[in-house]
Amino acid sequence: MNLLKKLFDWIEVRVGASELVEKQLTGYLLPRNINAWYSLGSVLLFIFVLQVVTGILLLIYYVPDAEKAYSSVSHIMNNVPYGWMIRMFHAVGSNMMVLVLLLHMISVLFMGSYKKPRELNWLTGFMLLTLVQGISLTGYLLPWSQLSFWATTVATNSANAIPVIGPHLVEFLRGGKLVGAHTLGRFFALHVAVIPVAIAGLIGAHLFFLKRTGVSTPPFGQKETGNQWQGDSYRHEDHPGGIPFFPNFMLEDLRSISIYLALFFAVVFFNPYLFFPSSAFVPANPYVTPAHIKPEWYFLANYQILKIFPNELIGLAVQGAAMTFLALLPFIDRGKEKHPLKRPLFLACTVIGLLVWLALTVWGHYS
Amino acid sequence: MENNSRRTFLGLCLGGLAVGAAASATYPLYRYLAPRQADTNAGKVVIPEKDVPLGEAKFFEFAGAAAVLVRTTKGELIALSAVCTHLGCIVQWEKDKQSFLCPCHAGYYTAEGTVISGPPPRPLPKLPVSVADGSITIG
Repeated sequence: MNLLKKLFDWIEVRVGASELVEKQLTGYLLPRNINAWYSLGSVLLFIFVLQVVTGILLLIYYVPDAEKAYSSVSHIMNNVPYGWMIRMFHAVGSNMMVLVLLLHMISVLFMGSYKKPRELNWLTGFMLLTLVQGISLTGYLLPWSQLSFWATTVATNSANAIPVIGPHLVEFLRGGKLVGAHTLGRFFALHVAVIPVAIAGLIGAHLFFLKRTGVSTPPFGQKETGNQWQGDSYRHEDHPGGIPFFPNFMLEDLRSISIYLALFFAVVFFNPYLFFPSSAFVPANPYVTPAHIKPEWYFLANYQILKIFPNELIGLAVQGAAMTFLALLPFIDRGKEKHPLKRPLFLACTVIGLLVWLALTVWGHYS
Repeated sequence: MENNSRRTFLGLCLGGLAVGAAASATYPLYRYLAPRQADTNAGKVVIPEKDVPLGEAKFFEFAGAAAVLVRTTKGELIALSAVCTHLGCIVQWEKDKQSFLCPCHAGYYTAEGTVISGPPPRPLPKLPVSVADGSITIG
């Protein structure tokens, strides 16, 4: 014990650790009415770390070669001890990451936490959503199964609808006229190097903005629910008399992570193929298109929109407009009120938007 | 006092859970990364006699490591580990000198694996060899 104290003192006089702990952990106060939804960011950070760790482990046995990719994944699943578990953690984790990210976004919407001065938090979060979708799409191709091959063919083909540059863009994305070995090389580089680094950088920026602006006060259980920010000068949103981040809210974070892990393990160990249709178990064959090829569940709404509109360009434009609207929401919704029940237009639009998205997803699944 | 014992008990339970969780994560991780025996031959290699002419050497994998089979100019068959006993480099067969050279630090061995010169502390370990029906069995 004495030795530990000596070690702590040795570090303390050099870096002032206790001041840092006081400022960033025990003295970092959060709103008293903070709720469990605020811990979804920590859950996402935990999932990202788990994805990175399992991804690195998969790299040990995975071979990014069109001839060997499928058999290397089969080898991981069938021969390498616990390889199935590492792969399932990674594959199920990617789906769960998108799900938790969407829940995090919905909670930010309902708390009104995207409003000024948090536009940059929202924008970086939105960019993270698109990057997570990108990393999922690129990762989908890597097992080189029929599902991977044809889902990527359909997904990259949708860029064809863009006037003038569409066909060139498709060829550029694929590294050739069709999905093939070159596509695998490109997607592999994007999946394991480019996008993870971009995600890590954006997570850093997202947390930086959070620390500089301060945690927003939830509008629930408050009398005054309007946005207090004046916009005249920089001001960190403090919460005097609030609850400390450590140990109080860190325990809340740990509870949310535990609940997440319970759900995650339930899928991995009891229904591991929940996100895998049968075409995921057949090696890619560029000459045989399987019937009813569908993208992942979170792209089903996009897929259905493309099917509804007679012209692919209109379908893409509608999606682009919806995404742009969502990205720029803090600049469009400039009202001071944060409580969702006091914002009927917002509430109606959000609920209808979510229902439409859900309906399109279900329709896409059964179409 | 009662509160303290409750706190200690809960602390112990949480600690136990943490240790259990760490162990259940470490064991699969160790198994995933551990080298697999099935990837190597079971310590028995068969080579056709015609593959090793007089004065020549043939390198092969034996139980996961490098090994060499030599037929000396006198016709004697010798199987040795090809891993230098100095720092683990793979020795090379020098046909003209009928000896092994470890190119890493210039260790020399005879065709029987005995150290001639250089830093190797021990001779190259010998492997059992038998010949039957035109086939050489090592191991």
